[in-house]
Amino acid sequence: MKLMAALCAGIVCTLAFVVVGGQSATSPGGLPDWSGAWVMEGPTVFDGTTVQPRNGRAGDPGVREFPPYNDEWEALYRKHIELVKQGTFPDPISTCGTPHGFPRLMNVPDVYEFAVTPEKVFVVAENGPNILRIYTDGRQHPSKEDLWPTYNGASVGHWEGDTLVFTTISMKGFSGKDVIVDRTGLVLSDAGRVTTRLRKSDAMTMEAQMVVEDPKALKAPWKVTKRYRKQPQGTWAWDYACAENNRNPISPSGKTLTLGPDGKPIDKDKD
Amino acid sequence: MRSIWLVVLLAVAGSFLTAASLEAHHSSAMFDREKVVELKGTVKELQWSNPHIWIQVVTQENGTTREWSLEGGSPNTLSRQGWRATTFKAGDEVTVRFNPMKDGTAAGAFIGAKFADGKTIGRWD
Repeated sequence: MKLMAALCAGIVCTLAFVVVGGQSATSPGGLPDWSGAWVMEGPTVFDGTTVQPRNGRAGDPGVREFPPYNDEWEALYRKHIELVKQGTFPDPISTCGTPHGFPRLMNVPDVYEFAVTPEKVFVVAENGPNILRIYTDGRQHPSKEDLWPTYNGASVGHWEGDTLVFTTISMKGFSGKDVIVDRTGLVLSDAGRVTTRLRKSDAMTMEAQMVVEDPKALKAPWKVTKRYRKQPQGTWAWDYACAENNRNPISPSGKTLTLGPDGKPIDKDKD
Repeated sequence: MRSIWLVVLLAVAGSFLTAASLEAHHSSAMFDREKVVELKGTVKELQWSNPHIWIQVVTQENGTTREWSLEGGSPNTLSRQGWRATTFKAGDEVTVRFNPMKDGTAAGAFIGAKFADGKTIGRWD
């Protein structure tokens, strides 16, 4: 958590550099103005266009999406869906110890901020908290030898007019416990590669068009669009110290427990 | 003695009378989203903390005291919906609605509350 706090402090300093100077539509250097606070539209279902039943909520029994999984990963997804029905599909973030990971980072509640600087763009998600850094200084992805799987992977991008186009690689992927895409049981492998076109589609809407490729898990590219609605001017983003009072730990069997005010599980069946 | 709590069985799953803002950081499999419990009690404490707020409500029925743990959204989201750390104060008399635990234990996912002066918070239509 100390590391997270230090990272947040660093971003605040960078934000101050960008924001000071006014409310113009573009920042110095012609970069777009994505200032303000934003909230994702819809529930935390990653692919709202394919979710069944319509308007289903991630984590509710029987709710699923239809990514172009190959047979092996479709079978894995179905297994997760059954675990959700049984209440034993654990969400890795319930431990309050790890980031959501990318692309789930683009699929969380609470406020988003999009901080544009000449060298990089930050996507700051209040929930988590989560931070995605997208380098736009002309660098390329590190070589394979210099990479290892991380929650958010490595992102480099460039500007096409007012659209930031970036590619993210080297995400951890699902290994049984680390990272999921949403709570329906959706997961990707560590071979995932996501190309995102991020832009302000109108004054009140940020749009992220993502194309997910995963040669281990998917038969075809998977296109998903997320949108974020601008919040009233002056909206605050706050701390999200997940470990502050986490009364929902995970049991060894994967069940989410509920702690009473004394800090002990109140569930009848604790495992 | 008039029962202090009332169970309302909803015919339609996913009714608007289900808890909102509880998809932040854990599964909600422990809650029965097709059932709404309404009870009257006294606020013991509001835990205004992340990742979720908790309202501790004490009820008395037939000489039995029971403390309920009602889980809400994050302070971040709720504060933008008009909540404050002082919205519930110890000693407040309230009627609360929530989706109860499936196993019948004294907890649930908060939906809404009505205070003694008639003011409401959350979903109360």
